[in-house]
Amino acid sequence: MASKSAGLFVLLLQLFVLIVEQQIAALPTPAASMDDKSVYNRQLTEERPLQEQIAEADSVKAAVQPAESQQPSKDAGESEPASDDFTMLKALADGQKPAQTREVPVKKEDQFVPDESDSTKSRRLADDYDSTKNRMDYGKYQDDPESFRQVDGTPLTAEDIVQKIANKIYEEDDRGVFDRIVSKLLKLGLITENQAETLEYEVAEALQDLITKNAKNNEIEDVDQNQDTEGEQDNQSPDTDTWGPPRRRYNENEEDEDEDEDEVEDEVDRDTEDDAADNTWDKDTDGGNEVSPGDGLQDLQYFPNFYRLLRNLDSDQDVQERETLITIMKTLIDFVKMMVKYGTITPEEGVSYLENLDAMIAMQTKNKLGKSLGLPEVSGAEGKMVDEDDNTKSETAKMQKEYENLRDSTKEEQPSSESNQPGKSETYLEAIRKNIEWLKKHNKDEGKDDYDLSKLKDFMDQQVDSYIQKGIIAKDEGDTIKRIYGSL
Amino acid sequence: MRPVFSVFLLGAAAVALSGGAAASTDAGISFEYHRYEELRKALVSVWLQCPTITRIYTIGESFEGRELLVLEMSDNPGTHEPGEPEFKYIANMHGNEAVGRELLIYLAQYLCNQYQQGNETIIDLIQNTRIHLMPSMNPDGFEKAASQPGEIKDWFVGRSNAQGVDLNRNFPDLDRIIYINEREGGANNHLLQNMKKAVDENTKLAPETKAVIHWIMDIPFVLSANLHGGDVVANYPYDETRSGSTHEYSASPDDNMFKSLAKAYSMYNPVMSDPHRPPCRKNDDDSSFKDGITNGGAWYSVPGGMQDFNYLSSNCFEITLELSCDKFPDEDTLKTYWEQNRNSLISYIEQVHRGVKGFVRDLQGNPISNATISVEGIEHDITTAKDGDYWRLLAPGNYKVAASAPGYLTVIKKVAVPYSPATRVDFELESLMERKEEEREELMDWWKMMSETLNF
Repeated sequence: MASKSAGLFVLLLQLFVLIVEQQIAALPTPAASMDDKSVYNRQLTEERPLQEQIAEADSVKAAVQPAESQQPSKDAGESEPASDDFTMLKALADGQKPAQTREVPVKKEDQFVPDESDSTKSRRLADDYDSTKNRMDYGKYQDDPESFRQVDGTPLTAEDIVQKIANKIYEEDDRGVFDRIVSKLLKLGLITENQAETLEYEVAEALQDLITKNAKNNEIEDVDQNQDTEGEQDNQSPDTDTWGPPRRRYNENEEDEDEDEDEVEDEVDRDTEDDAADNTWDKDTDGGNEVSPGDGLQDLQYFPNFYRLLRNLDSDQDVQERETLITIMKTLIDFVKMMVKYGTITPEEGVSYLENLDAMIAMQTKNKLGKSLGLPEVSGAEGKMVDEDDNTKSETAKMQKEYENLRDSTKEEQPSSESNQPGKSETYLEAIRKNIEWLKKHNKDEGKDDYDLSKLKDFMDQQVDSYIQKGIIAKDEGDTIKRIYGSL
Repeated sequence: MRPVFSVFLLGAAAVALSGGAAASTDAGISFEYHRYEELRKALVSVWLQCPTITRIYTIGESFEGRELLVLEMSDNPGTHEPGEPEFKYIANMHGNEAVGRELLIYLAQYLCNQYQQGNETIIDLIQNTRIHLMPSMNPDGFEKAASQPGEIKDWFVGRSNAQGVDLNRNFPDLDRIIYINEREGGANNHLLQNMKKAVDENTKLAPETKAVIHWIMDIPFVLSANLHGGDVVANYPYDETRSGSTHEYSASPDDNMFKSLAKAYSMYNPVMSDPHRPPCRKNDDDSSFKDGITNGGAWYSVPGGMQDFNYLSSNCFEITLELSCDKFPDEDTLKTYWEQNRNSLISYIEQVHRGVKGFVRDLQGNPISNATISVEGIEHDITTAKDGDYWRLLAPGNYKVAASAPGYLTVIKKVAVPYSPATRVDFELESLMERKEEEREELMDWWKMMSETLNF
């Protein structure tokens, strides 16, 4: 490939190929990448006319096409991660220099997506229409600092990028993948440290989800996998060091952070701790170096039911299940922490969610395992709590009724002084009579059977009661009406 | 009212001699003043007579604890049927302006009677509209006014609520905000953000005002009128002048539609639409009255009124109806007032079935609530209700109507709108995510193609 005069497309191509370390022959060596970097940066700093870029791309395409690779079998597997990295790079490049790189990728799109049915066009229409309405809540689609999503819509696959990276890491059981990608990107100046951090969090999150999902799906089978993963983690302690505070890692390029052989979640713990975003969780995040019951369960001590469940699984054959459960729980806890950190939910909501979770666990274990958690107080306590709730509710309802009655009674004094009983019931009688007459006639006209008097009576009784309650009818009036209907 | 019983007899005799023709349709209506208890009973009687099409509810209590009663009339009382427009009449917000209060009681009785007698217009109206009637927004004031001894009622006693608050100056003044937004840019609708909080924490609002504001927020009213006395004219927005002067024509973005709505009332009221009618009082300035209608600001500036509040805080178009030169006329004149206004009252309710209406949904058919419906050339947007339904009142003409919502791509449709009935225009909006998905797939396909071609 002609590297010197390569267009943007080829440069990026080389970059991601480098990073992914595929076995493709006839591709540039790392030495060449330095040159590419300078050329690449040139692209970023000055806008090149669209036509020029198109022309270059075309020439490159022409040059590349004849040089077909002899390894078709590898392509299938490579194109996927290749596309990941490519689009991810694109996304990150966008993130870094919004003003300029946004131009570049858009133009690139124009180059390679011949039809001009671009989303940006119609999106602008919506924006135009709504620019005068600053009341409309577009918060989610503008300025989300934590994501790679930009308003102009170019990095369309940010979440998928993250997902794909996470997938790859999970499949290969090698977090080094991520480190390698990110360090290269940082070296090339394509992303800032903040973005690397953010990317790390996002991938960590996605990875957690993956682990949880797989753990839940195949509990027994995956236990082995998890254990293997954990074992691998132990072995890869130098790599896992990279999951320490990225700042330090990427500045100094080597690390002897505190050993953290635990899963990703605890790394995030530390970061959460560092950021001190969420004070309520601070005391939970100390330690937890190993997945040993003692330390690892510190987080879980706040979940009494879960804890009891674990203790019930103390026997040997339950060890695997126990491990899985611990993993799942920790993942959930950390996920909630992340959400709180990102402000998706408030700390109170997070706490209540987890409390509910704990209660659910108790219930589910009772149902599924067919045994209680060994402590009758648990269900007793829960039952009591439920009862208390009900008590307070019924108390409130009682109080409300009393109040209503009081209110009604004070009202009744007013009306009874002003009105006369016979007059009232006369008017009402008249009205009810008219209704019955109409019903008879209406049903006759429509050929229906005689109206159902009892149903009507019930309906009216119900309505009268509701009106009495709301203060629309006085009690004695309501009784009158009911009496009249009763006598029909 | 017992003291005037004898007068009533004489008056009734006189009316019986003169009037006569309309007697059959008005059978079952007794034309007399109703105090609070009598009002309540009258509404209960209507309900007892027509329980399948009516429902009584209360939106709250007045300062002195009287219920603010509403009689709802619809073929399915108590529920908002998707696509069925909501309409309201409110009267007697000034307690001593009594004619409107009575008219709404008579209207309730009339609609119930006519429905049972098979009047197709009324049956149609009740089946396709949800009509809310509030005979008195200020029952405390009315009691005060009605309790005055003697025949002649004071011009002011009972006007304000029990706290002395003029309810028609008590609403949050959104006109000020819209005028600023017109100059400097900003929203053109739903100006009272965080309404519930703003309302509940506002200590200056009377309980009656608060109750009505909550009511407006809860039900997606489309059209409304509030009934007053002291003059005879149909008054439309804006009530508050832009410059702050006492008289100035202050057009709203929907000036054409409002004129049409106001005329739809006035033209059936022989007194209101009489071009040669002398002004109510010798020195009254009714120069702004034309065909029985007037712009609010052109007549005199009113800040904090309920009419403009409706338009600027919700989707509801409201006008103000002044129905009698005399605020609290003799009881024996009530039948005449009814006859003058009956057809107008019905005609105005029918106006709710005009313009364009329909649903805004996503591609899966789910309703999109709070989507914006904007009309090109009219700087006032409305929003869809919970079921995605909307009603955009428009005068006849050709329009471009756009539906938009956050996260969705806007759709614009051209519509030719006749005078009536409403034209049905539905929208299906594609979400940005869906469009992103499409494009992502395109991009992936392209990438696949490229990688296959280039073999990597």
